Amino acid sequence: MLQLTTDSNWTELGKYIIKTEHDIVQVRQLIRVHAKEMNMGIIDQTRVTTAVSELLRNMYNYGGGGEVLVETGVVDDKNALIITCADEGSGIEDLDLAMSDGYTSGMGMGYGLPGAKRLVDRFEIKSEKNIGTTVRVMKWR
Amino acid sequence: MNIDLHEKRIPIIKIGNFLIVSIQVDMHDKLAIQLQSQILEEIEKTGAKGVLIDISVLEMVDSFIGRMLSGMATMASIMDASVVIVGMQPAVAITLVELGLEMPGVDTALNMEKGMEMLEKRLKDDDYKLY
Amino acid sequence: MKEDYKIERVKERINYIEDVLASVAAGDIDARINSEVEDDLSGIEAAIDLLIDDLTDELKQRKKMQKEVEEKLAKIQEQQKTIFQQQSDLLELSSPVSKVWDNVLILPVIGTLDSQRTQIMMENLLEKIVETGCTISILDITGVPTVDTQVANHLLKTVTAARLLGTECIISGISPAIAQTIVHLGIDLSSINTKATLQDAMIYAMKQNQLSENVKLHSLFADSDENEE
Repeated sequence: MLQLTTDSNWTELGKYIIKTEHDIVQVRQLIRVHAKEMNMGIIDQTRVTTAVSELLRNMYNYGGGGEVLVETGVVDDKNALIITCADEGSGIEDLDLAMSDGYTSGMGMGYGLPGAKRLVDRFEIKSEKNIGTTVRVMKWR
Repeated sequence: MNIDLHEKRIPIIKIGNFLIVSIQVDMHDKLAIQLQSQILEEIEKTGAKGVLIDISVLEMVDSFIGRMLSGMATMASIMDASVVIVGMQPAVAITLVELGLEMPGVDTALNMEKGMEMLEKRLKDDDYKLY
Repeated sequence: MKEDYKIERVKERINYIEDVLASVAAGDIDARINSEVEDDLSGIEAAIDLLIDDLTDELKQRKKMQKEVEEKLAKIQEQQKTIFQQQSDLLELSSPVSKVWDNVLILPVIGTLDSQRTQIMMENLLEKIVETGCTISILDITGVPTVDTQVANHLLKTVTAARLLGTECIISGISPAIAQTIVHLGIDLSSINTKATLQDAMIYAMKQNQLSENVKLHSLFADSDENEE
């Protein structure tokens, strides 16, 4: 799986595997629990849960499932909830296109990635053809 | 772990001319699609003129469920039934707008009562047009 | 024979010095050699004792300073927390939402809007809408000198979110300067119901209220007509 640069100061809160649609529902509910535990407001909880739901759907539809890592740590002097979603799917060929509003490669609705990006405070993506895609989102607390 | 999809059917209740659907569970995509066709089938079967979909307990509506709901409204209107989405939480509304899903053309109401009033008014207006 | 004995004694004393130095290094700052005899070696022993004294003094002072710094830091952090709390309190106080009429909420906005304040305002208004069940809300920005793209977008977002809840949000009191900025920025507010003054917005809201009242009355009469038949 493609790795993004991490910080050794981050603490792991949980690691989940996405294989079925039920996992998507379960994991996004767990993300809300993590956000709640970090004392995020109800709207930020909803934002981060919704963003992750979009990422998980992409992962399930295009990557055949994958792995979700939930961490917490200090980024740019801010307390952050950090969620990294990695799959070993076919990868995204044109990242700029996938990140543009309204773009869909068929099954998606064209709101997934750009929508998720608008809901979080930081968004990183790395994708390589036939290796997979890794997306990391952060929400400040 | 794997629950049979059909076990989790969402009940559709008919009252007068209207159908009432209250979504009480966090839906996965298949369940959402299933609910959509379930409601359309029920409209056909009962000849209902309006559908109230209560989402007040939904803590999250992502692009898929949002699209399902607005698609639902369009499909039902082709079948001559109006859909009103009822009881959306503020956090959900803000998130949907930020996602870029502003759901134009979808009718919404603060609560069941107001939604019902809205549907009744529409039904009356249609009657006046006829006579 | 005597020489050997002397060397043994010296070795013992040197070992003792080593022991003391080791315990000082290990943290026992009260350890001293305190030699009782007076000879060539005792001078060195006394010097080492003095050195240890100086060292421990410095160590104690440093620890004290460190403690002070830590205390100060904790105090500053505490103060910072209070400042943050007060800031968010202030933000919430600065956007009071009040119910002024049946079914009508007003949120008067005064002062410069930044992104964070607009965000909190939006959240407050939407929560109040659900709480009170009012279907019309008026966002009066008479007291706002200017807006930027972000703030205008937040206002737009508020109105759209209010619509998703099934209510109408009117923006009133748009000054010429703000109207100019909005058009220059290319923001489309045509989908929003805007009124010149708060009074106009109030009149509109009351008319809307009457309209829905009439509909209710109408449907009541319509029902009784059916009953008579």
